This record gives sequence, C-alpha cells and structure tokens, in this order.
Amino acid sequence: MNIFDIITINVLQSAIRLATPIILAALGAALCNKAGVLNLGIDGFITMSAFVAIVSTYLIRNFTAIGMMHPVLATFLGVLITALFGGLLGLIYAFLKDRFNVDLVVLSIATNMLALEITVYIMRAVFHQSGTWSDSSIVQLPSIELPLISSIPVLGDLLSGYNIIVYLSWIFAVLLIVLMKKTKWGRYITAVGENRDAAVSVGISVTKVRYFALILSGVLSGLAGAFLSVGHLTLFTRDMSAGRGWLGNAAALFGFNNPGGAFAAGLFFGFADALALRLQNVTKIPSYIIQVMPYVLTIVILSIVSYKALRDRRKRKAA
Amino acid sequence: MNAITFENISKYYPSTEVQASDNVSFSIRKGEIHAICGENGAGKSTLMNILFGLERMDSGRILINEEEVTLRNASDALAHGIGMVHQHFKLVPSFTVAESILLGTEEKPFISKKSEVEAVRELSEKYSLPIDPSALIDTLPVGMLQRVEILKMLIRNVEILILDEPTAVLTPNEVGPFLDTLRNLKERGKTIIFISHKLQEVLDASDRITVMRKGKFIGTKESKETNIYELADMMVGRKVLLSVDKKPSVPGETILSVENINVTSSSGLKILDNVSFSVRRGEIYGIAGVSGNGQEALIKAIAGEVQVRSGVIRISGKEVQNLSVEQKRKAGMAYVPEDRVHVGLNVEASLLDNSLLGYEDEKCFKKGMFLDEKKLRERAEKMISDYQIYGSSVDGLVSKLSGGNMQKVVLAREFEHVPDLLIVEQPVRGLDVGSIEFVHKAIIEERDKGTAVLLVSVELDEILSLSDRVGVMYSGSLAGELSGDEINETNIALLMVGKKGGVE
Ligand SMILES: Nc1ncnc2c1ncn2[C@@H]1O[C@H](COP(=O)(O)OP(=O)(O)OP(=O)(O)O)[C@@H](O)[C@H]1O
Ligand SMILES: [Mg+2]
Repeated sequence: MNIFDIITINVLQSAIRLATPIILAALGAALCNKAGVLNLGIDGFITMSAFVAIVSTYLIRNFTAIGMMHPVLATFLGVLITALFGGLLGLIYAFLKDRFNVDLVVLSIATNMLALEITVYIMRAVFHQSGTWSDSSIVQLPSIELPLISSIPVLGDLLSGYNIIVYLSWIFAVLLIVLMKKTKWGRYITAVGENRDAAVSVGISVTKVRYFALILSGVLSGLAGAFLSVGHLTLFTRDMSAGRGWLGNAAALFGFNNPGGAFAAGLFFGFADALALRLQNVTKIPSYIIQVMPYVLTIVILSIVSYKALRDRRKRKAA
Repeated sequence: MNAITFENISKYYPSTEVQASDNVSFSIRKGEIHAICGENGAGKSTLMNILFGLERMDSGRILINEEEVTLRNASDALAHGIGMVHQHFKLVPSFTVAESILLGTEEKPFISKKSEVEAVRELSEKYSLPIDPSALIDTLPVGMLQRVEILKMLIRNVEILILDEPTAVLTPNEVGPFLDTLRNLKERGKTIIFISHKLQEVLDASDRITVMRKGKFIGTKESKETNIYELADMMVGRKVLLSVDKKPSVPGETILSVENINVTSSSGLKILDNVSFSVRRGEIYGIAGVSGNGQEALIKAIAGEVQVRSGVIRISGKEVQNLSVEQKRKAGMAYVPEDRVHVGLNVEASLLDNSLLGYEDEKCFKKGMFLDEKKLRERAEKMISDYQIYGSSVDGLVSKLSGGNMQKVVLAREFEHVPDLLIVEQPVRGLDVGSIEFVHKAIIEERDKGTAVLLVSVELDEILSLSDRVGVMYSGSLAGELSGDEINETNIALLMVGKKGGVE
C-alpha cells in the first residue's frame, strides 16, 4: 500500500476538523501562559460550552420567531451565545484571580469536575437523557465554500468547505500571531508573564492583561465547545471535550506558548487523530496500538523539541 | 527651589510589625545629587518606593516642585517626572535592550523594530551611555543591565532619578564611570537621589547627604562639610570602627589545596589556566582581582558548580573535584555565594526554613526521623539576635526583609557552622557600615576558631584589612601571591593589571 492511499485528501480534511477544537484551546492556553495565568480549566470550559451551544441553539430554534423561520440562523446565534458564555467563564476566572488571588490550578480542578457533573445533571433533570442528548430540530453549522480558493485544484479541497468555526480558528491564530509579534500589547503580555514587577514598574496594568488573556481564552474555548456540539456533530455527549482542552494545553507548551507554534502543534494533534482513525479502517494493525500512537508520537516530538530548546539555551548561556 | 519635599511621611507594615517610615520630613533641591544613607532596614527603599508610587504611605504629604501630588502607582510617578532604578533590577529576560528600554512608552499600536533600535541608539549617544540595542537582556552583565534601567527612565524624560543602591552590584572599576554618569546627568539639570552604603563614594559624588535610622530622619548634611566618621556615627547611633583589629594568624595544616586546575567554557575558551594555591587552617586567604579575571569560575569550581577539566582540588586531603556541592558541604565546606538572593535563599520561604537550607540532613537538627522544631527555632532566633537581622520574625518571609537583611540570613547560616573551609564571596555587598564591622569580625572569629577562610572580594580595602595571604587573579591565572608585609595596595594593584614583577 502506498502512503497516498492512506493519507488521502479526506484524511487531511478530517485532520483539520479534528484539530479545530484543539487549536482553539491551544491558542487560549498559549495566550494565558504568556500572560502568566495558567489556565487549566479550558477542558471544562469546552464541555460546558458544548452543552450551552446545543441548548441555546435548541431554545432559539424552537421558542423564538427568528429561530422558527431561519433554522440555520438559530445555530449561528447559538454559537455566538456560547462564545459570550465562554468569555464570561474567563471573566469570572480573571475576577477571582485579580480580586481574591485565587489559585487558578485549584480553581481549574474544580471547574473540570464541575463541568462534567453539571452538564450530565442538567441533561438528566431537564432532558431526561443520561449519556447523550440531541434534538432533530437542530440544524448543524453549515459548511462554507470559500470563493476563489475553493476552485483551486487539491488546495481548494484542503482549505475550503468547513464551517465558520474552523475559519475563525485560523483567523484567531493569525490575529494572535500579529498581536504577540508586532504590537505593543503583545509585548505587554509577555512582560507581565515573564516579570510582573518589570511590567508594573513601567506602568503596565497587570490586571488588564490578565483579564484580556483569560476572557479571550474563554471565548476560544466557547467556540471549541460549540464546534463539537453543533459544528462537528449535532448532539451532546457526557464529557464532550474528552481531553481536547488538555491536548490544547499540551499543544501550547509544545509550541513554546507562541500562537504560531500552538497552532501548528494543534494541527499536528488533529492529524495524528485522523491518521489513527484511518489506520484503523485500512490496516490490520491492532486498534489498541493505533490508539496509543498519537500519544507516543507526542512524547517523541516533545522530547526532541525540548532537547533542542535546552541545547539552544546552553549555547546562549555560554556565549 | 526644592524638587521634592517629604512632609511627615509614615508607613507601618503590619505583616512584619515594622514602622518602616516614621514621620520623615526633608527636602531635595532641584538639580542636586542627594545621597541617602542608613543601616539595613532603615527604611530607605521604602521611602523611595513611596515616592515612586509603589507603596502607599499611611500619612504625610509629598510635594514635587512645591506642589502636592498623589502618587498611586508608577505611572503617576513617571507622569510627574520621577523615575526609579531598583535595588533588584526589573527587566524581562527574553527582551532585547531596545524592547526593555521602550517597554510601556510605545505610542503606536504596531511596533517598528528599526525605529526602536534607532531611538535607543540616539538616546544612548545623547547621554554617552553606549549600549547595543539588540543585545538580549539574558546575556548582559550587571553593569549593562543597570545602564538599561537608567536609559529606560531617561527615555521617559524623567527630571528626578532615584537609584536604589546602584553601586552595590558594580565592580570598583565600574563605579568611577558610573559616578561620572550621575554628574553628567546632573549637568543636564536632572535631580538625582541615590542610596548607598559606601560612604566614601557618597562623599565623592553627592552634594548633600541624608541619613536615616530605624525609619526616622536623622539629618541632612552638606557633603563638603561632613566626613565618613560623622556619617557612620549618625547611621548607627554609636561609634563605628571602620577598620578591624586582628591578631596575626596562626596557620595550621592545609585544608584546601588547589593543584593545577583548568576550566574551559563550553565554547572552548580557557577560563582558568593552571591555578594552584592552598589555604591553611586558621588563615584568611584573599582572592583579589579586577572582576572577570576568573575569580567566579575559580570559586564555582571549588564549590562544585563548575566542572574542572583537569587538576585536583582537595579538602582536608580528600579529593573533591568530582563531588557535588552537597558532598563537598559534607566534607566540611561552607559557601556564601555572591548572588545570595537567588543562589543562597528561598525568598518565598520563612526565615526559619532559610536558616536551615542545605543543612536539613544534619544529625544535630533531628529528633528521630523528623526535624527538631524547637531546637531549630531557638537556633534561628539566636541568629536573628546575633546578626541583628532586623524586620522579620522567625516565621516571617524572607522576601519581606530589606536587601541587606537578606544578606545577613545567608551569612548567619553559613557562619553558624564552624566549617573546615569557609568560602565567602563579596561578604559585605549591600551591608551598612555597622553590619560590615560585624561581618568582618565574624570572619576573623571563624578564622581564630580554626577555619580556613577563602575570601573573594572586589573591594581592595576588604582584602587588605582581612587577608593573611592574598592571591591576585589576572586573566584566568594566579598572577602572584602576597603575604605579610607584601600585602599592600601598590603590590596588589600591580598584580591586578598583570604586572608579574610587582612583588619584587
Ligand atoms: N513589603 C514589606 N512587607 C513587610 N515589611 C517590609 C516590606 N518591605 C520592607 N519591609 C520592612 O521595612 C523595613 C525597611 O525596609 P527597607 O527595604 O526600606 O530598608 P532599607 O533601608 O532599604 O534597607 P537595605 O539597606 O537593607 O536595603 C525593614 O525592616 C523591612 O523588613
Ligand atoms: Mg533597600
């Protein structure tokens, strides 16, 4: 079997889809790490957001006039609400950190446990379902063909035909790269994260930077959650994020907390996922081996990357 | 006209129960260089932090150019033309020089690297403070970091520049040019306030001197009309001996012997070139030299932080060059590192924890498997009173101590031990005159108890007054060794610049 029989354009497309929530989480995590506010609650944010997305879409679709007339619009509004909901979670984090100096790691552990239980609880209490919930009235987020680009052979198939959240993840990646590399605010964020006192002593507001990073990571997690429940599928399952938030945290570290690096790492995780799925379908390799493959690959690459970083640092020290 | 007037400034720290500022009133004239002196913990840094908006005063008024101002944060202070260079630098390690200097002053949202580098270059030329705008902060020596901090303030067009112990981190040959920089800034009409424990340089560089003690204002003197002795007495409140008395040494057997050690940097450069010497029980061996001539590497090699390429190091006859720091401590070595804040302390831990740091395994501190809390507490309390560590209790965090008191914690811990070999690097950096007297006495006492002391200092005075023998480092090797009457300023100075014939 030839390698191109395994890695088809379909596999690459599914890689991009699978990567999207991880990329969104990774961008948020990278931003928070840069700003020195470790956000390990992203996984929980995503699960809660996935739930909020499908429920708000359902409510708009069935109980408002606009929703009844324009089913697709209901889904878009659901996504918007979820993004705001995610932002609100980030805002709460920032407030607790800023006002009460709450330990974010402890808060995140609580968030992740709460996210899992509260979504299941509401699903049971309100919708009388325990594992998954869905409603046939909900319309999936539509795929959008990009004008011009979609007509390019091969590349058009690769870059076009996704829903809006996929494109948004790309746009956010570019915006964050520009923000961190080219603007003064990016510099402020780095300063706050690396040496808070240095930032304070020149009049940079630590508070603003933290609010910004945590709120934006919340919005991005919101989009990731919405992508899972109304973009990729139209259903909610228990523990919907299934560790994608954590993968996002890992991808951020992987990419040295640079948005570009985090994006690439997120994409890599998505690719590893897609490849694993594909190999299960087309080869006879036992599935348990294939399923650990993305993780093994992660460890291998992470080792290489950190070894190289260590060597660079040594070199710089010696100079 | 007065640039700054302090009126009845008071500040109490409830967490350490210290009245750091007690009804302080005095003023600073426009365009003068005004020095502030005082013991460790006298409240100098606190007062300056209040002036720079980093701390709030409980009561009192501050006037800038005769007008009352409220200073809630650093931006307020900067807006009033007040800039500050802190005792511990506040820089972001991954930034370049240009980025560090311009941080927070960027006008446009988008950054242009080229115009930033240009702006910094212009600024550095204007004030004749040369620096490479694209160098990384991580890689710069302290003298340069300080220059970055000063430029950082100058680009904000400050009229009043506060420097908290600027010369503590500089080597003696960097101090001269630095004081010139201050005079140069004064000529351009800036008002300079600087804190220092080095009374001679204070007298040389300043127009007036204010002395503080235990949070109180003691007095302001015209520099021309006072002298070291008067200042020292004002600071401490008693007569201070500015030189130490010591008996001639009675050296015993060799404790530390260093034989032909070589050290190369990872880029292959020779840092130590065949260095040999030995230190005997009951003597103080001083290592002098212009900093950067291998002293750091020599001490690190002996202490175990740097691997030697070849050669033998013995402590009490035992070969130790391949042992870890911990094993060497067990072999009888105590080490007071130069960078005590980062290497010698865990500032986020209590004084009690820090008083034990590195000695947790010692039998005498243990009761069965566990640490003997009561004994340790008593020991820490004794250290606090013996070394006059002022400003915190046994359970207080070390980070709350004043700079000089942090130093004392490390000194107390390592001296407490009566080791066979005591290595002390720059023991009095950042200490006030009273504490210097105390620490010097303590070093001599250690010697008299039979410890072999290896003293590294860039302060010639300190080497001269303490050492029984002196080794002078020059470009990675020992340029010469002096003992007895040979130990004098001229001989050391000649060897320091590599003139081998100095001794004869
Ligand atoms: N943040 C803080 N919290 C509690 N106590 C503090 C704090 N900062 C300083 N202190 C205490 O206030 C006193 C004055 O400290 P300050 O740093 O002003 O001394 P200093 O004169 O600068 O001394 P040094 O010469 O050692 O730097 C000290 O006793 C110190 O322990
Ligand atoms: Mg101080």
